[in-house]
Amino acid sequence: MLLARESFRNLCRARDILSDPDVDPPSIEAVAREVAISPFHFIRIFDAVFGATPHQFRMRTRLDRAKQLLAAGDRSVTEVCMEVGFSSLGSFSLLFTRRVGATPSAYRRRMRAMVQVPGEVPRELIPGCFSLMGLLPAAAFRSFREA
Amino acid sequence: MKIKLTSIMVDDQDKALRFYTEVLGFVKQHDFPVVGEYRWITVVSPEAPDDAALALEPNANPAGKAFQEAMFAQGIPVAAFEVSDVDAEFERLVARKVAFTQEPARSGAVIIAIFSDTCGNLIQLYQPVPE
Repeated sequence: MLLARESFRNLCRARDILSDPDVDPPSIEAVAREVAISPFHFIRIFDAVFGATPHQFRMRTRLDRAKQLLAAGDRSVTEVCMEVGFSSLGSFSLLFTRRVGATPSAYRRRMRAMVQVPGEVPRELIPGCFSLMGLLPAAAFRSFREA
Repeated sequence: MKIKLTSIMVDDQDKALRFYTEVLGFVKQHDFPVVGEYRWITVVSPEAPDDAALALEPNANPAGKAFQEAMFAQGIPVAAFEVSDVDAEFERLVARKVAFTQEPARSGAVIIAIFSDTCGNLIQLYQPVPE
């Protein structure tokens, strides 16, 4: 599809709204109304542009932020849950565990074990691929034909 | 000194690998776990497998994410791939549900088109026009 300039601008605005960690967030229909696109069309073109439905995008954004806070901060799992916009600890833990493969508290323990300076996330956890080259096996530097 | 590698930030490495291989048609070169859930993933062009590889790099760093989001919202592509027939690529990719922000258009010595890579980036295709 070819997006009109106005639609593109509206989708970027919708992305900002969906990234907002509000505990009482607008429904997807309300976001669609806000950017003046019909809900069905909104979901379809948002997915084509951002590779996720508006709901999936909102959840992923929250989980990404939760991972950062769990790794760096001194906040409890409950505080992180609220701060990224979930109102229920149960649904936060369930979704986090399903997506990340560890419970929020296990993730926090694992990450914090790698943090030397409190409040600072170590470089290894926030790639920067090129800063991680030293961790790669020799095979990663073979050319395509040899690979 | 050679340019063998460049990178592009993506919001989800699995999704990016699918898009860059299955939709765009690049070929996976490497895929190694590095740290945590992050992987070292590179793709190359099947037309020129010895040219530079493209690393699909996680945008987990908030600074990188902020840069990526701002460039996108301003409509600025962060990578450009050369094609021999931009109209044909446009048709092919539109048929695969790719969203373009710019249809093929002459701009100086090239014809360009711009699309979203579904991972947070705008990508420019360009076809050099012979003089």
